[in-house]
Amino acid sequence: MNMFASAGIVLATMVAVYVLIRVIRLSTELAMFGAAVGGALVAGFGFPSRHIAEGAATYLDINLIFVTATLFMNLLKESGGVAFVVRSILRRFHHNRALLLVLLTVLLLVPGALTGAGSVTVLVTGALVAVVLNAMGIPKHRAAALIFINAGLSAAAPPVSLWAMMTAAGVNMPYVGFFWPLMLPCLAGGLFTSFYLGWKGENANVMKALEELPVPPAGMSWWRVLLPFVVFGGFVFMGRQWPFSTPIVGLPLMFAAAAVISFLVSPVRLQVFRIARETVDQLLPLLATLTCAGILVEVMTLTGARGLLSLAVVTLPIWVVYASLFLVLPASEAVLMWGAAPVIGVPLVLLFNNRGLDPIIALAGMSIIWPLGDALPPTAIIGRLTVDVVGHKGTYGQFLRACLVPALFIIVVGTLMVVYSKKLGFLTGL
Amino acid sequence: MSGRLLAQKFVVISLGIALLATSGASFYKSRRLKEPVVLGPGVTTVRPLSTWFAPLRGTANDCNVYFLDGRTPGATMLVLGGSHPEEPAGRLVTWILAENAIVQKGRLIVVLSTNRSATTVTRLGGAYPPDFSIPTDFGSRTFRMGDRFTNPLDQWPDPEVYFHYPSGQQLAYVDIRNVNRVWPGRANGTLTEQTAYALMEMIKREKVDIELDLHEAELQYPVISTIVTHQRGQDMATLVSMTLTDSEFKIGTEFSPRTLHGLSHREIGDFSPAVSLLAETPEPFLDATRGITSREQLLTGRDEFVVKAGQHGLLFEKIDEKGWPIAVRVGRHTSTLLQIAETWGEDHPDKLLVISGVPRYKEVIANGVGHYLHDPAKAAGRVVYE
Repeated sequence: MNMFASAGIVLATMVAVYVLIRVIRLSTELAMFGAAVGGALVAGFGFPSRHIAEGAATYLDINLIFVTATLFMNLLKESGGVAFVVRSILRRFHHNRALLLVLLTVLLLVPGALTGAGSVTVLVTGALVAVVLNAMGIPKHRAAALIFINAGLSAAAPPVSLWAMMTAAGVNMPYVGFFWPLMLPCLAGGLFTSFYLGWKGENANVMKALEELPVPPAGMSWWRVLLPFVVFGGFVFMGRQWPFSTPIVGLPLMFAAAAVISFLVSPVRLQVFRIARETVDQLLPLLATLTCAGILVEVMTLTGARGLLSLAVVTLPIWVVYASLFLVLPASEAVLMWGAAPVIGVPLVLLFNNRGLDPIIALAGMSIIWPLGDALPPTAIIGRLTVDVVGHKGTYGQFLRACLVPALFIIVVGTLMVVYSKKLGFLTGL
Repeated sequence: MSGRLLAQKFVVISLGIALLATSGASFYKSRRLKEPVVLGPGVTTVRPLSTWFAPLRGTANDCNVYFLDGRTPGATMLVLGGSHPEEPAGRLVTWILAENAIVQKGRLIVVLSTNRSATTVTRLGGAYPPDFSIPTDFGSRTFRMGDRFTNPLDQWPDPEVYFHYPSGQQLAYVDIRNVNRVWPGRANGTLTEQTAYALMEMIKREKVDIELDLHEAELQYPVISTIVTHQRGQDMATLVSMTLTDSEFKIGTEFSPRTLHGLSHREIGDFSPAVSLLAETPEPFLDATRGITSREQLLTGRDEFVVKAGQHGLLFEKIDEKGWPIAVRVGRHTSTLLQIAETWGEDHPDKLLVISGVPRYKEVIANGVGHYLHDPAKAAGRVVYE
């Protein structure tokens, strides 16, 4: 049997096992794991325990960043810091709808940008922002769409963009030069979304919103909120300013240090072990996704399934690739979540590189399109989470329809970034 | 907790422990796999790298350095294998040198595991085999597969951004564990930086004239089948590539970019009197479009998917159904190395480097790589381990 036939059979088996496990309503993570084991068995590798363990460790560093950054954000939320910021913004800017929308957008972009996870944005700031949006007269399905799209963009925003990081790692490309190519479209997309979905409505009913928002503990102040960020920024600054005399601590420890500061300066005593336990509970599905994506990718690489998929993508006419990005990227995200980056992103970047495009800009363009898939079945984890957090009681379709125009805007921006990546190369600063 | 849930948890935990045990055993075995080196007649001394930089003593990267002193003085050449252990041809060439080479004039210094730590780990997500075996005249010899990067067990965590010393150039964070991105190294740096620093110390103190770093590359990478040279070696490298292309196989010359830092061909030349060169052969195993990731693919270099990619004009080197067998890749490197020594001699008749006992391209293809590896069982007292 030639390599094409054998890899084709392996790939078909993987898809079949994945679908089967999803049909019996087990989780996406188990479906990915099952697909990996099924593929290895059919390819004649038996139960490849070494590769399963190795694949599971592929994204260990990213998982550590996830845990420590989310713990930091959760400590900040529990200390009343997030409520303090939301209330302060509302009190100060409720007369100016435009400025309020800008500040809420920034507030939504920060947690995901730091952690790489849109779900963290939804959980940490989503509920509080939803209260403000409600007070601004924005219907709940539109508020949910506003938070969801911004949460997705926050995950794609720098410094931690998992799609870009995972794809870059897969093609031996440095994760360098991505800051502006990711930041600009995320800001543009976020602001467009917020203004499109949030501009129409009544003037903010500040009293009503302040009543609904949690009251921060006495003593909470701007310095208590900002100090942990200053510490985190200080670590980053020292590492960049004096790289040869600053010990290497790594991003997870930087976030852990920010978490410690957040705990120490909290005006209320925080139950750190409870918060840590809840953080891990909250993150478990995401950690499992990354772990199982690593296993799936390793087994696909072992069996040739990844090579077949890569080859299929890199040999497509380039216009077909451009024209199908809007479908392929969100659909792959809906099925594989972050696993889409190494499986689909890697061959696409190789193709773009071969065609003389700028791989950094092209990957940044793709990275803003991917998170749109988080609202689509079969997974739709972040879409459903947002709807729950906002308290939208209507249909899921209503929420999806509200997402449509901002999603189209992001797709157009992302695709244009890919097509014109060469001309936008200056954004990398390299 | 219900009995059923308890049973489910027990089964899952048991499976997890079984997975840990079986995979752990595999990792333990490959990390500690001993690679024998039968010291050839030309080897005069073997010294640890820490001889030139004591802080490396006892670390994973305190590798062996093999000295092959000639009968008469001449030029000193350093050959580095295993900068990227996932590129096995380079390591195998250094094995052939240590087990066979005899230096008539001058001196050869050989390092088989430049980044020894990187030989003890395989690429996460890469599905590499833990090891590979080369058939020999007496059986087979097994080698650790290795990765491009220092084992995270020996150096972790990575920085948020890696700044190269001393240029300050910003590189990918993971490249702080890539020995061919940290030259000329740093005394108080990471393990990988200290390794490069120790090698630089050796290059300076042992008065190395020529340094050759042996690599392999995926066919989708533009720097392939070539010699990359520091500006002080441009004439020599060009002459070597012309001679080899005329007589043995096609090979190009690339000039080391002056602004791209951390690579051996740039920094060794800049920070020592040595002429620094780097040779690349094709290794389809590294291509992202490769098919099954196996020992066979690694050693035969045969891959239908990579061939298909080539038919679509996506590669920088030719490939057909014959692939790129390990003997071809090793042979290209041995001939390149010998031709460099010869060409150097033409320019430096007062400081010759004359090497014998090392097979050239056609001989390696005809006899196989294993023919030049000797039986450790029959070499009592002359075996060291990598």
